[in-house]
Amino acid sequence: MNRAVVLLILALMTCSLMLVYSQQRSRMLYAEKNRLEMQEMRLNQEWGRLEFEQRDLSKSTRIVDIATKQLHMKDAKQDKTIYIRDKSN
Amino acid sequence: MWRSRVVLFLMFVGFLALLGRAFWIQGPGNDFYAQKGKRVNRVIVLPSVRGKILDRNGEILATSLEAKTIIAYPETIPDDLPASKIAAFAKLLKMSESELKKKLSDSKNQLYLRRQVEPEIAAQIKELAIPGILITSEYRRYYPDRESMAHIVGFTDIQDKGQDGMELSNDELLSGKDGQKHVVIDRLGRVVDDLGDFQPPRNGRDLQLSVDSKIQGISYEALKKAVTENRAKSGSAVVLDAITGEVLAMANYPSYDPNNRSNMTGDQLRNRALTDTFEPGSTMKPITISLSLEKGLIKPTTQFPIGHLQIGKKVITDTHSYSVLSVSQIIQKSSNIGTSRIALQMEPEEMWTMFQSVGFGQAPKVGFKGAVAGTLKPYEKWGKLDQATMSFGYGISTSLLQLARAYTIFARDGELVPISMVKVDKPPVGTRIISPKTSIEMRNMLELVTQEGGTAPKAQVPGYRVGGKTGTAHKSLGKGGYASNKYDGFFAGIAPISSPRIVVAVVIDEPSAGSHYGGDVAAPVFSSITGATLRSLGVPPDENLKELVQIKDQGLAQKVVLNR
Repeated sequence: MNRAVVLLILALMTCSLMLVYSQQRSRMLYAEKNRLEMQEMRLNQEWGRLEFEQRDLSKSTRIVDIATKQLHMKDAKQDKTIYIRDKSN
Repeated sequence: MWRSRVVLFLMFVGFLALLGRAFWIQGPGNDFYAQKGKRVNRVIVLPSVRGKILDRNGEILATSLEAKTIIAYPETIPDDLPASKIAAFAKLLKMSESELKKKLSDSKNQLYLRRQVEPEIAAQIKELAIPGILITSEYRRYYPDRESMAHIVGFTDIQDKGQDGMELSNDELLSGKDGQKHVVIDRLGRVVDDLGDFQPPRNGRDLQLSVDSKIQGISYEALKKAVTENRAKSGSAVVLDAITGEVLAMANYPSYDPNNRSNMTGDQLRNRALTDTFEPGSTMKPITISLSLEKGLIKPTTQFPIGHLQIGKKVITDTHSYSVLSVSQIIQKSSNIGTSRIALQMEPEEMWTMFQSVGFGQAPKVGFKGAVAGTLKPYEKWGKLDQATMSFGYGISTSLLQLARAYTIFARDGELVPISMVKVDKPPVGTRIISPKTSIEMRNMLELVTQEGGTAPKAQVPGYRVGGKTGTAHKSLGKGGYASNKYDGFFAGIAPISSPRIVVAVVIDEPSAGSHYGGDVAAPVFSSITGATLRSLGVPPDENLKELVQIKDQGLAQKVVLNR
């Protein structure tokens, strides 16, 4: 009888301590999850911004503008163009 | 013994008091605590991201980037906030201090101080660490192609709802659904606990259009140049893929920058290629004449006496006078009299059916809000004069997109194809309107137009055989009247002639710097758009390749020969 009571008390104490521990852990994990979610959002946003910037810089109108105005390039004239065809065509 | 009873009694009284207090807090006296509780329980909106709009090659045409929203909870903001902080805060919000103070004192609950704030400014506001200020993320739309793509893509309002263009027409697909979560927040605005009841945000879906941003950019620039040089009111251009029916480009000038619409006028807003109608003038002639060819009434070589033509009181006129022209020459020289004579051999009903079957008088189904139908009078109401004038494009109205679509019958060996502004996976099935033979005959006539002796040598594209038809129409004033000095100049054409790949239609509205003829104002735009488009699509040149392959460099010549 006495032994059983002691055992039960021990079990109860262990459970109580585990409860405290798991609650603490759940809070920490929740905070961590929030942090990671924020990070995911930030990274997604950053990716979107970079994607936009890449698109903005690689626009064909911009390339043509730089090619003609800064590099003084011209469209190839017909007499300077050689068309090389694949045999299959 | 009585002592222990007293103690027991006192304990009982104590418990009773506690019980009473607990009951009071839970029940009638809970207002105070309820209010305290409300302040820390907050619903946080989890913003969803609107889908991107992409071009046919996956390039971004519209995307949502982060912008911050500054929200205040005035009750939580301490009254003893240092004046320097308030001043700095007001400055970052771009308002005056008094304005800010007034806003904060007027409102008790949640208050949106400013939306669509740049992330850098939001970071500075965060550094001020003012209690009761919450910074949340929202999204703002950005359009990298600015003016050139504005009319197709459209724009959204501050609530992220589509307002124009594809943003409006596909709003349901693009828009997502915001999620939310219920959280407990401490005095400094940090989330400390989650109360469950979590709804994740659902992002919008991406939309891939049929347009090619490169071809669109080229078309817009060419149009802008032509409208400016000809001192015209406006201009539009449409490029269709003849095989898939996809709209590769649809440009209008004037346009606007969808990223900054503060000074926008209605004039800049319209997608004229779809929403404006005009009388197509001579660009109608190939449609009329192909019907006659199809019915076997004429051949390209059939000779017609031109001379003088009067219907009732009205005299049909040509720019130059001719005595006799073949059908090919009627197209090449764009003779109104010749076309009228061909039309008058047919019944009004036949012509009406032809015009109807190539899409005139019906709004094209392109999934774009605001596409107009134009007008096509029922044939019962046609008189002889109507029949003649309609054969060369007066008394009928159409949008530029409808006109370009009608020309697909010449590009696809007689089939009309459904057009799409969204990328299509496999080529659609066309509807046969005329026979391949008629279509090829018409193509050859259209090519004559761009050669010496035609009305549009300026439409030529080096390396490619092209064909098309010019149009120069007096602008309609409505009610059957026409402006004597206001014109629309057109060119609608196909390329390359040997195996057509694209249809390009151009209109220049009210050119006022010299010539107003379609062959002078619109044909050069056709030429530059067509050349750039064919090169961009990698279409091999089809014009007299022997002349094209001029190998001057000996070493290179050997390499070329070896590779053959």
